[in-house]
Amino acid sequence: MSESMLRIKNLNVSYGAIHAVRDVSMEINRGEIVTLIGANGAGKSSVIRAIMGLVKAHADEMIFTSPRDNKEVSLLGKPAEAHVKLGISLSPEGRRILPQLTVEENLALGAYIRDDAKGIAEDIEYVYSLFPRLKERHRQKGSTLSGGEQQMLAVARALMSRPDLLMLDEPSLGLAPILVDEVFEIIRTINSQGKTILLVEQNAFAALKAAHRAYVLEVGSVGLSGTGSELLNNPKVRAAYLGG
Amino acid sequence: MRRARNLLLTIISAALFALFLDKAPELLNGYWQRILNLIAINAILALSLNLIYGMTGMFSLGHAGFMAIGAYVSALLILTPAQKNAMWILEDIYPWLLHVNTPFIISIIIAGLVAAFFGWLIALPVLRLGGDYLGIATLGFAEIIRILITNTPRLTNGSLGLKGIPAHTTLFMSWGCLAIVLLCMVCMLQSNFGGVMKAVRDDEVATKMMGINTFRVKVLAFTLGCFGGGLGGALMGNLITTIDPRMFMITQTYNILMIIVVGGLGSVTGSLIGSVLVTTMLEWLRFVENPITIGSINIPGIPGMRMVIFSLLLIVVIIFRREGIMGMREFSWDIFFPKRKAKPKESDSYSGPVLEVKNLCLKFGGLTAIEDLSFNINHGQIIGLIGPNGAGKTSAFNVISGFYKPTSGEIKFMGHQIGGLRPDQVCRAGIARTFQNIRLFGNESVIRNVMVGARIRQKYSWWMTLLPFIFTDVIREDSTVRARALEFLSQLGLEDVAHEKASSLPYGAQRRLEIARALATSPKFLLLDEPAAGMNPQESEELMKFIRRLRDEFDLTILLIEHDMKVVMNVCDYIQVLDQGVHIAQGTPEEIKANPRVVEAYLGKGAA
Amino acid sequence: MNLNIFIQHFINALSLGSLYGLVAVGYTMVYGILRLINFAHGDIFMLGAYFVYFATIVYKLPWAVGVIIAIILTTICGLLVDRIAYKPLREAPRISALISAIGVSFFIENFAVVVFTGMPRPVVQPKILMEPIIINGDIRLIPLGILVPVVAFILVAGLLWLLYCTKPGLAMRAISFDIETTRMMGVSVNKIIALAFGLGSALAAVAGIMWALRYPRVEPFMGMTPGIKAFIAAVFGGIGSVPGAMIGGLILGFVEIMSVAFFPTLSGYKDAFAFMLLIMILLFKPTGLLGERLEDKI
Repeated sequence: MSESMLRIKNLNVSYGAIHAVRDVSMEINRGEIVTLIGANGAGKSSVIRAIMGLVKAHADEMIFTSPRDNKEVSLLGKPAEAHVKLGISLSPEGRRILPQLTVEENLALGAYIRDDAKGIAEDIEYVYSLFPRLKERHRQKGSTLSGGEQQMLAVARALMSRPDLLMLDEPSLGLAPILVDEVFEIIRTINSQGKTILLVEQNAFAALKAAHRAYVLEVGSVGLSGTGSELLNNPKVRAAYLGG
Repeated sequence: MRRARNLLLTIISAALFALFLDKAPELLNGYWQRILNLIAINAILALSLNLIYGMTGMFSLGHAGFMAIGAYVSALLILTPAQKNAMWILEDIYPWLLHVNTPFIISIIIAGLVAAFFGWLIALPVLRLGGDYLGIATLGFAEIIRILITNTPRLTNGSLGLKGIPAHTTLFMSWGCLAIVLLCMVCMLQSNFGGVMKAVRDDEVATKMMGINTFRVKVLAFTLGCFGGGLGGALMGNLITTIDPRMFMITQTYNILMIIVVGGLGSVTGSLIGSVLVTTMLEWLRFVENPITIGSINIPGIPGMRMVIFSLLLIVVIIFRREGIMGMREFSWDIFFPKRKAKPKESDSYSGPVLEVKNLCLKFGGLTAIEDLSFNINHGQIIGLIGPNGAGKTSAFNVISGFYKPTSGEIKFMGHQIGGLRPDQVCRAGIARTFQNIRLFGNESVIRNVMVGARIRQKYSWWMTLLPFIFTDVIREDSTVRARALEFLSQLGLEDVAHEKASSLPYGAQRRLEIARALATSPKFLLLDEPAAGMNPQESEELMKFIRRLRDEFDLTILLIEHDMKVVMNVCDYIQVLDQGVHIAQGTPEEIKANPRVVEAYLGKGAA
Repeated sequence: MNLNIFIQHFINALSLGSLYGLVAVGYTMVYGILRLINFAHGDIFMLGAYFVYFATIVYKLPWAVGVIIAIILTTICGLLVDRIAYKPLREAPRISALISAIGVSFFIENFAVVVFTGMPRPVVQPKILMEPIIINGDIRLIPLGILVPVVAFILVAGLLWLLYCTKPGLAMRAISFDIETTRMMGVSVNKIIALAFGLGSALAAVAGIMWALRYPRVEPFMGMTPGIKAFIAAVFGGIGSVPGAMIGGLILGFVEIMSVAFFPTLSGYKDAFAFMLLIMILLFKPTGLLGERLEDKI
């Protein structure tokens, strides 16, 4: 279980004069749920976008080991589309549902890199079983879904490429509390079915309860790390959010 | 001293050039005199298009149309009744037009004015559009003008065009016009009103927040640019002596566009250099279209080759050197002399009472951004507005500063209703703000950014800036504003970079500059949207001290959105908490830290 | 006006409108994805006409072969334009790409003058397309007049099928909303953009060929005015929408033909109608007939 899937050493991300991420190192092992928490503006999304290849990043190393062939690949400098083929997918912050495409088309786009029509059809059934609401609305346009449904669609879409590493950026953002519980429940289910998950969350409490391990980001660099339950009771976590 | 020196140098070089022009007929043959004339006319056209596009940021492709108006108006005013009678063959000329006759100078001024009038007429509807649409719509108007000219033979002699226009455009005439246009334009651009135009180009939203009605500025710049287009067209007609509608096709606009792109969008110097280069090159390239004989070998000319080379150059310039020769820089005599620094002066203070927000609601379609928000702010307080992402904090700012109209509820500033006012009106009332994603006028110098903020407290009108030596108010007020701006900058530790380009500053300095610019509008109430975003712990430490100092020194009341809780808890007297559009708590920092609803909103359910 | 003449005008308007529509589709696809007015698109249309002229009249190839060769060559030109003049400017301000597009348009026109000379050349129409068919004794129809709208509608239907029923089409629609998210899904964005340019150019080639047959001649600046008008048609129909572009093209065709048919004195102003339509739609419904609203964020 402790085979490494993603290993990052000294990741740095800058936007012009803003140094958003400083020397972040972290490791994700196969089968884990790892969460990256921290207050707004701490650089969580930048880390995940750097892993996905959506922003220019510098790092000593960023190695992805695919469970498919156990080959180590450096992710640095690769475009986002190549990441998807390696087995990484992202459900982005703000859901980024394509508003004029139907639910089904959004899912088909998630499976863009695949050509096995039968497998795709199976996976569509699979995500519908996870999110029955989406099945009811499969012909509706993305823009007509409620916030919670859009979030489900974003997660479902990220699953459609059959990733080994699923990254979720703020899946609870803007959701009513009851839906937050539902989303985390599903994240645990997906994990138990064999997917490794990297979860970025502002809702620290829920994220820590769901995660095996966690990293706490403080203005651009990792302040604390540990297992979910260790950090849940750590007063410094509260300080990181509420300014001590 | 510097001013006087530069003025002297300018006068000397202008005099030398005038002397050269005086001797030009003896020194140069007709061909080169014609090129010199064309350079001056193209420079006028380029300057006027640059005013519209490079300075004020409106992508216009209509210049050929305004040139056509100018050329026709001037020609119709100059031609004698006898000439007109002889030329109108297809249909008779309108009788009233037959006998109209004015001297050349008057005719080109009227030409400019008529073009400006049409420009103004067109600007009112079309400038509501932005970007590419504006380009296509102006291109459309230029075509319509051309079609109108072709189809109104009683007025314009239709497609036959006008011939025998006296060649009034002498070297002195064309260069004299250029000198006047150049002088007016430089004066205008150097005044604070010029800064306002460039501010509209760099960030229209932020300019509105400086209290400026940006639509009026755009209409004005467009109309003035059209005047230049008409003037240039009139001079062109009087140089070539024959005009017809086919002369003013879109190609004509492209040539001028090429000049300002090569020279550098937004640079007066660039337009002049571009005119010289492009005009001479276009003429020089004619050789590729003429047959050449070298010894006994005859190379036939290749028609069209000139424009092929020309367009290739345009593509190469835009791909490899997008900013042109000058970028947005200008020539200055200062490059020959070492630099010195200016000194700041004393400050004054403001006083002001309260903001009252009552039952404020904001909805977009079905989405509720703010629900029933009420709070009061007392004079001199620093209030924090906090809450998780999507809580509606920035929406609240946008409502207060006038970018959104509240769906219902009241906002009172010092007892006056401000809900629903435009951003520029809100600013005039005494509210200033900064933006979450810094919105500076990036291409302008630091000090001019601040000066734009002070424009609404100035009294002079835009037209005075054309002749600042007569209307000395312009110079006086601008120097006061400049001194005040420097003073703000020195208080914010930015005086050393006052003449740097705003976008070249490091991040923290840009944040402070945005605050300095907001202060220049003389606000009583300041809204800061995430001032600590992207700062490291040491920088936010400094920021906290600075915000308190701001309040004390400028006698301000401050409302700030911030995620960095250390900043909020240390600097704020009182805190308002929003969550998903709902006002969930208020209190002192201690009360807020202990409030279970706040802890839950931030850390998630169950954490408290 | 009797029925016969009205039908003539109707067919005329239909075929002119569908030609505008075919060119407009190319503008709308590129604008939808890159927010770029591809000024060179009208000149790509001109190239299509010239290629078919050379293939069939100069090199005497059969029409079917000539048309296919012309479409292929035009498509290659469209792809080259994207690769050379637009791709290096993807990250640049949009206005730079726009100026580059103006440069390319200028270049192609004048290059055509250099290579093909500025003289208009007559196109020999195949007899079979010109032999009138007589219906009801007094309604005369030229087959070309029928062929043009039929071909246009088949092609647009094909394009819609591609956009709505295939994977690359799905990616193309997705890109026009959100390039980054589409990239996240594993789509090679540059390939899809090239596909849009290729398809647009192929349709422009077909339109150019039919245009050359209709006004039987070719000349280097023949793409300028139809190009601008087709862009206007695309804006009118709602930029970014393929059916919108076709509808916009048809409306423009009908306005031009019918207004001159009913008010012959207006014929001198024919070219101004398009611009007036444009200004009206921009003032009253800036998103066009079928367009979606794009808003700026503060």
